[in-house]
Amino acid sequence: MPILLLLILLGGATAWWVLRGKGGRSASASAGDADPGLPDVVLGEGRGSATRVAADGLISVSGLTKRYKGVVAVDDLSFVVRPGRVTGFLGPNGAGKTTTLRMILGLAAPSAGTATIGGVGYGDLAEPLRRVGGLLEASAAHKGRTGRNHLRILCRSAGIPLQRADEVLELVGLTPAGRRKFKGYSLGMRQRLGIAAAMIGDPQVLILDEPANGLDPDGIRWMRDLLKALALEGRTVLVSSHLLAEMQVLADDLVIIAAGRLVVSGTVATVLNSIAATGATLVRTPDVEKLSAALNGDAAVTIDDSGDIYVTGVDAAAIGEAAARSGVVLHQLATQRPDLEGVFLELTKGKAAIR
Amino acid sequence: MTLLDSPALAGARRTGSTPGRLVMAEIMKIRTTNTWWLFIGGVLVFTSLALARNGARHHFELNPQLDGLNASDKAQVLAQAAQAHTPGSLDAIAGDMMTSGQFFGVLFAMIIGVLVVTNEYAHQTATATFMANPRRTRVIMAKFVAAACFGALFWLASTLMNVIVTPIYLHSEKVSVALTDWAVVRSVLLNLLAFVMWAIFGLGLGTLVRSQIGSVVTGMATYLLGIAAVAVVVQLIYLVYHHAWVQSAIVVAPAVASLVMTTPGRIDIDNPPPQWAGLVVMLAYTVAFGAIGVILTRRRDVT
Repeated sequence: MPILLLLILLGGATAWWVLRGKGGRSASASAGDADPGLPDVVLGEGRGSATRVAADGLISVSGLTKRYKGVVAVDDLSFVVRPGRVTGFLGPNGAGKTTTLRMILGLAAPSAGTATIGGVGYGDLAEPLRRVGGLLEASAAHKGRTGRNHLRILCRSAGIPLQRADEVLELVGLTPAGRRKFKGYSLGMRQRLGIAAAMIGDPQVLILDEPANGLDPDGIRWMRDLLKALALEGRTVLVSSHLLAEMQVLADDLVIIAAGRLVVSGTVATVLNSIAATGATLVRTPDVEKLSAALNGDAAVTIDDSGDIYVTGVDAAAIGEAAARSGVVLHQLATQRPDLEGVFLELTKGKAAIR
Repeated sequence: MTLLDSPALAGARRTGSTPGRLVMAEIMKIRTTNTWWLFIGGVLVFTSLALARNGARHHFELNPQLDGLNASDKAQVLAQAAQAHTPGSLDAIAGDMMTSGQFFGVLFAMIIGVLVVTNEYAHQTATATFMANPRRTRVIMAKFVAAACFGALFWLASTLMNVIVTPIYLHSEKVSVALTDWAVVRSVLLNLLAFVMWAIFGLGLGTLVRSQIGSVVTGMATYLLGIAAVAVVVQLIYLVYHHAWVQSAIVVAPAVASLVMTTPGRIDIDNPPPQWAGLVVMLAYTVAFGAIGVILTRRRDVT
């Protein structure tokens, strides 16, 4: 008799697990309904900025190191992220971006070094969700729970009024989908639920890992407007991303890491110019040979398929002077400002990406 | 007024997260999914099966079949039946009926404990949970309380069914036992303790084996197969070392411990372990697994 009961129970439990798994799969396969319309992000009148103290929002990473068995994921990394600006956090796959963000958010313990927000470690913040909003995984909600309940649970545990869940749903345009189960959400909707969760405490600091993943062009523009608006209010916005063209439009500052180490940090212009100094200059002239002869030995002249002439090794001023000295007519002289993608690839070239 | 302004936050007192809110959040996590009421359904199914089984067993105890027995056997069986009708035995029968469904009911309590933790990892909500509350000990303590609450809820479902069926059964068997007898009430309360302890045990197990299927299977195997394994080992030791307490040592199997704790007479061996031993063993498991839960949650990185 007990053996029989045991078999029934084991059989029942197995069937339950199998059915559960199947339910999840079929539901995710059917996910893909159109995202609901996005609300406009309208800038406030600086209500926030008056009350926000700049030092509160400074993220400071100092000597941060994370070692796993035999692998150094983050290696003596130091940078600061300033309030009132959008900071792009870039690096190849496996560079240690997510690990760094996890350490800033107190989810992983650093092997060495510190990460502080407004001078305080995440674990010591009194009301963390009121100070910092984080988005790490987009698909991070229970499949069988509604998006609204997911947010209400966060409110409940952080001591935030439950109505705030409806406000952030409105903010990310998910109000119509709020009462549907998470397993029916498209990737873009999941991403927006994650942003809603990050915004739940109206935080001074936002830390978002790949927030644009899975968003359609409309969604990406909305996200860009939102993040810029938040930064204009005086908030700190740290965003990691692979979408370099998007970053070039969105970010004010950049932090680029590779193989766990800092490659470069600074404003977008500084980072772009760090390569531009050694970049190419586009020249249009009817007399290429004479110009080549006029330039000294440091310069290299290349002509591409479409007949454009590029000079590297000397800057535009030197080319102009050389042309004037030798009487060469120039039709065009333009410094080629490399785009972020080019700079990024140049800067991270040769750094072991996946370890 | 823009979307970035928040009337809800502006009008609210800043209370922060308190232990009470954390517990409510954890209970809300269970309440907002299907699992809990599916499990209550399971508890009720197994309680009704157990009621039928226990009812049949006690029926034959009270009303033995006398057909085809010779005189001396008949006398012995009648003596046993008379023994079953003494107040002490009737209390035991009532207690047994009132705790029907415990064996599989606590299994559901254990699994809900497992799910309280493993759901967070399976659905990657652990990040959000620990971002909202970086003080992890408080979070895991809230989980213990929430799991215990649902263990108690399962006990309530099972006991409600028992409290309806048992008086009807006892009446139909024409025996009169007051269900308010301390012996009966004590069994029911110890049953509650068993449900709560198994929920906590499951939660500790969930932190140890974070894979959802892994910990559910481990827990069920420990519970169901652990008895057989321990029984074999105990019997082997008993063959070599012929002392009565060795047989009682089967109480180290958690499933046996919780049975012994609630209804000591139900274990059918020569030297049944005493009730306190069941309680001590269950307490030891609960504390050990609870401690494992807290320590691992504090130390590990959230992934």
